Amino acid sequence: MEVRFEDVEVRKGGRTVLEVPALTLGRAAATALLGPNGAGKTTALRLMAGLERPARGRVLLDGEPAGRAARRAVAYAFQRAVFLRGTVRENLELALRLRGVPAAERARRIARAAEACGIGHLLGRDALRLSGGEAQRANLARALALEAGLVLLDEPLSGLDGPARAALLADLPGMLAATRATVVLVTHDRDEALQLAQELVLLIGGRPAACGPAGEVFRRPPTREAAAFLGYTRCGREAIRPGALTVGPGEREFAFTVERVVDLGTHLAAEGRIGGAPARAAVPDGAPLPAPGSEVTVSAPAAAVLTYRDDGRLAE
Amino acid sequence: MSDLWAGVLEALRLVVTGDREVREIALRTIYVSGAATLLAMLAGVPAGYALARLRFPGRTLVLGLVNTGMGMPPVVVGLVVWLLLVRSGPLGGLELIYTREAMILAQFLIATPLVIGFTAAAVQALPPELPELLQVLGAGRVRRLWLLAREARLGLLAAVMAGFGGVVSEVGASMAVGGNLQGQTRVLTTAIVTETSRGNTERALALGLILLALAFAVNLILTRAQQRSG
Repeated sequence: MEVRFEDVEVRKGGRTVLEVPALTLGRAAATALLGPNGAGKTTALRLMAGLERPARGRVLLDGEPAGRAARRAVAYAFQRAVFLRGTVRENLELALRLRGVPAAERARRIARAAEACGIGHLLGRDALRLSGGEAQRANLARALALEAGLVLLDEPLSGLDGPARAALLADLPGMLAATRATVVLVTHDRDEALQLAQELVLLIGGRPAACGPAGEVFRRPPTREAAAFLGYTRCGREAIRPGALTVGPGEREFAFTVERVVDLGTHLAAEGRIGGAPARAAVPDGAPLPAPGSEVTVSAPAAAVLTYRDDGRLAE
Repeated sequence: MSDLWAGVLEALRLVVTGDREVREIALRTIYVSGAATLLAMLAGVPAGYALARLRFPGRTLVLGLVNTGMGMPPVVVGLVVWLLLVRSGPLGGLELIYTREAMILAQFLIATPLVIGFTAAAVQALPPELPELLQVLGAGRVRRLWLLAREARLGLLAAVMAGFGGVVSEVGASMAVGGNLQGQTRVLTTAIVTETSRGNTERALALGLILLALAFAVNLILTRAQQRSG
């Protein structure tokens, strides 16, 4: 399904919270709306679900206004998994009944969604007594069972503890692949976005700061602001991709003041500063540990160092 | 203690022998308080829902007024309704004073803040995303309200119990606007006052026990419905 924002502005409490001149989503199977808190991500999702109307402009789902199309074409998994009293199965049943799905078809869809989300054993359980991870999976199953053209997921991994989050993050790509729908998900976590989506829209301050294939946006953020949000280390007019720095000589070298060395489990890393900006560089296996307070040379591949113009845009 | 036993025995006698006057008074009590509670539900549930869900200037003030109304002395309500309905009052032309309808009106005013308050609390206890979830799933406005009411049924049944309990046990308003006319507006509470003032303590106590039994029976039915659905 194609989602098109046309000259959209949303105002709340007298100020603009979202302004999208033009944006088309749905070219990829899954799109992530990524951005810091208050960037307008959830507002954008709510516009697609027809839960809010813009003060200006319109949001179209396959050419039809979202307010009209959403009730049959959209499945929305809220950030907090909320259910009505009853079992998980009854909650999924109700959702499908409200969408006018016939009884036989309902049973088939519930079975399929439950299997995809790994909640077959939870169908008979009281929906209000599920653990955080179980509830989030049941929440996703309800959204997927609708077999809607557009599936909207608001922070699908929020509020989960480490193991539950890791398990769901591992399973989510498979769940999303099982649906033929266009998926738009909201997250403030860069790695989550890269892992789950092929397309990325970076929202900062209520405006799209970057948009395109996820890997490309990450490798070449179009503005310095976008690069900073994606974790790039700012170094004058340059920005260094996160994870690219290594202690020792290489293609592009920088002077690095060591503050401490941390053991990240998989490898050791030196934390410190490059020209005042906080940075982290991997310590190669077997290399001597840099002493805190010392100045060492760190380096990155040339392709991982981007140059930005004075106006903050990426230099070609 | 002997008065208490005598009252219990008298109550049993009145119930077993089917005392006509007591039966009429009890039925009138159910009619007046039941109608008042029903009307209070019709007005108070939507108002309580709106108060819980909508944000508007002065909402806190309205909530404060409702909460105050939940503890309003019935006799004050009775006095205000009496002043409105008395022949020389602004609504005197309706000729409702000293009728069951006047008692229903007064009890309605007593029960409504209770119903609004309990409903607002029940709706506020629901997850705030629930109405929007139902909306996205395609439920129309009426279906949404029905599903939300079903979800808040524990609180809504508590609202009915509070409303009915509040009015079936009040005496001040019923006395003021009903006049305690024998065979017309006398209900259990006003009958108890009358019998006490006449020195018929056993009969007064018997009527009190019947009132308690009536309130208990209604609340038992509602509680069973509440717990079954919970």
